[in-house]
Amino acid sequence: MAHRRCIQSLVRHATALISLKKSPPISFYEILTPKPNTVIATTNLEPSWFTPWSHIRHFSSRKSDDSNDEEDVEESSDEETENDEVAADLGRYNSPEEKEAEAAAIGYKVVGPLQRSDRVFKDYEPVFAVVQIGSHQFKVSNGDSIFTERLKFCEVNDKLILNKVLFLGSSTQTIIGRPILPDAGVHAVVEEHALDAKVIIFKKKRRKNYRRTKGHRQELTKLRITDIQGIEKLEIITDGKPLKAAVKKTEKVVTTA
Amino acid sequence: MALRGVWQLKKLIVSYCDWGGSSRGIRAFMESELPTFKEKNPQLELVTELIRGQHPHLKAFYKNKNERVVCVKNMTPEDILLHATRLRNALGRKVVKLKTRHVTKHPSVQGTWTTEVKY
Repeated sequence: MAHRRCIQSLVRHATALISLKKSPPISFYEILTPKPNTVIATTNLEPSWFTPWSHIRHFSSRKSDDSNDEEDVEESSDEETENDEVAADLGRYNSPEEKEAEAAAIGYKVVGPLQRSDRVFKDYEPVFAVVQIGSHQFKVSNGDSIFTERLKFCEVNDKLILNKVLFLGSSTQTIIGRPILPDAGVHAVVEEHALDAKVIIFKKKRRKNYRRTKGHRQELTKLRITDIQGIEKLEIITDGKPLKAAVKKTEKVVTTA
Repeated sequence: MALRGVWQLKKLIVSYCDWGGSSRGIRAFMESELPTFKEKNPQLELVTELIRGQHPHLKAFYKNKNERVVCVKNMTPEDILLHATRLRNALGRKVVKLKTRHVTKHPSVQGTWTTEVKY
């Protein structure tokens, strides 16, 4: 029974994959009777050939019911996927730059080059943006400072581009993102990586002789926002609060791609 | 640790003892990692000082006249490098609990909302 099920799934899979991949050299017969050449061939095709297989495997605990012919293939495919996962975890610490870029994308920042006598710090412009870093959102303007959780892949005096911008506004125009604006960017410079003040976590249960004290210092990064892009900036001198009745605000709703 | 592009840590004094056992880590740090740290931070004035009979420490002098002292007794060279990097990465400001995570001088662009605002 199990054998018939397995073979049926084999047939389904092989037909699907053959139609997709056009890899005729491996037929069912060759899979079921492992010879050295076919085993080598299967390992070459490992990631693409057997990953859909492993998806099906998740739904049923058929590993014990497998025929001996399929076991070798299954084990090698599982090892391959495990190795890939382990490599992905260590990838950040081995610092291939692609992995760093991916991790930076998770935190919605892109590291640009270090500053070198750039005139990045401009005067205040009456433009604001709502930007998201990690799970926190801030309404920022030119010249503001932001304290975020420690951003891992940037040093002090690095230029960042925060690409998850949810909202842009100026004194005459607002642009709403759904949920993010694809063409907007907020430039920032890393000012410091520092530890917050110590908080003492004190736990006590009265009359139970239980008391615990733990100190904790959170690692923070201070960013200074230098530029907001994606909206027209008019050269208006800010004099306190602009008149609300006279200013016409055009709202523009942008859908994400 | 750079306010508007200007590094805030001016001087770092590495004090150690050549006899004491608590200085073992910092002596190893001075041989292995201090030269690279010095090259990475050319703007920083690094001074090594011998204090006999005392525990080793790192003294940091910042541009806002603030001094931070970190005692590195019985630490491994990697830990000492971490502390030195932290000192270099920090501004000299006093370590107090943050009031807000967003410091701004211009809180409103389109005007602060009040109940009288009509769009």
